[in-house]
Amino acid sequence: MGVVGTMAADSSEHAQPRQPESRPENTPEGTTVAPLDSADHAVEILGAQDQSAQETPEQRTARFERDAMPLLDQLYAAALRMTRNPADAEDLVQETYLKAYGAFRSFRAGTNLRAWLYRILTNTYINGYRKRQRQPVQQPTEEITDWQLARAEQHTSSGLRSAEMEALDQLPDSDVKEALSQLAEDFRMAVYLADVEGFAYKEIADIMGTPIGTVMSRLHRGRKQLRDMLTGVARERGFLRDAEVAS
Amino acid sequence: MSCGDRKDADCREVLSELWLFLDNECNHERRALLKRHLDECSQCLEEFGLDEHLKALLARKCGGDHAPDALKQRLRQSIREIMMRQAVLGAEVSVGQNVDGTVVEVAISVESHAWPSPER
Repeated sequence: MGVVGTMAADSSEHAQPRQPESRPENTPEGTTVAPLDSADHAVEILGAQDQSAQETPEQRTARFERDAMPLLDQLYAAALRMTRNPADAEDLVQETYLKAYGAFRSFRAGTNLRAWLYRILTNTYINGYRKRQRQPVQQPTEEITDWQLARAEQHTSSGLRSAEMEALDQLPDSDVKEALSQLAEDFRMAVYLADVEGFAYKEIADIMGTPIGTVMSRLHRGRKQLRDMLTGVARERGFLRDAEVAS
Repeated sequence: MSCGDRKDADCREVLSELWLFLDNECNHERRALLKRHLDECSQCLEEFGLDEHLKALLARKCGGDHAPDALKQRLRQSIREIMMRQAVLGAEVSVGQNVDGTVVEVAISVESHAWPSPER
């Protein structure tokens, strides 16, 4: 698909990472997650060893506490969205941080620490918690092209949309979080990483280990489902009359 | 001006790229083009407004959880303990966790842990 190809290329060349309020100062703008291919990987390790050779365990620990610990709340919030319960979220974050600390000597300074931590979180969840939770894995059927086809919808009549917007605003946080938790896991994480954490498509692709096209597809479908779900909840709550719901 | 006055393909194209615009994933030229269309087409603009609203709503309502203080203290404590042991052993030690939650240490080479492998 022409547009997908164009946009995938654009996103790496022209993407301007958002600057959410929560972005910590120690995450350099415009950096991406360290690549996984072997050549870059080797360079990364060499660089890290140079750096760590001059660093004592105390200094490294201080660096970890200074740079990684302030991101704990964010990682915990993401873990909550993944596991959907506080006890598992705590365990997941603890395991993530201990792994990160163990590997911190090889973390290349100047790369995106926040994305690196999210990557460890995601892998830890996929390889451990999801199996342990024994929840049926919802595998969305996704085609790179269908996000466009789905959007081929035409706009609906004017006036109904603003009623929908106002209705969604009245929903309590718990309803919105609940709706998000209903999404299939891959959709949920993509939407969370993009809309709550403000990661760029390229970063989400690195964190989730998928091509950018897949990220776009997950985002599109996740958001569409979420919007339908929230509109339904707003109607149940009486914030939106049937007549006002855009068909 | 309504979309009826314009070529349908125009609106379809714009609608299919609204999220790229909102996610800041368009290049400057494309962004300017979409912006121009939105300025002229009230129906696309309305659709854009709803998507924008949804994105803001999620950002506002789905984040902001705070990790329990006990977790933070526990982590700092674990990290300090591991560091002390490293200092004593003078060797690199990697950490893992048993199923029961206890921390275990495994002496390994740093290279294999530089990046957790996707293992998908």
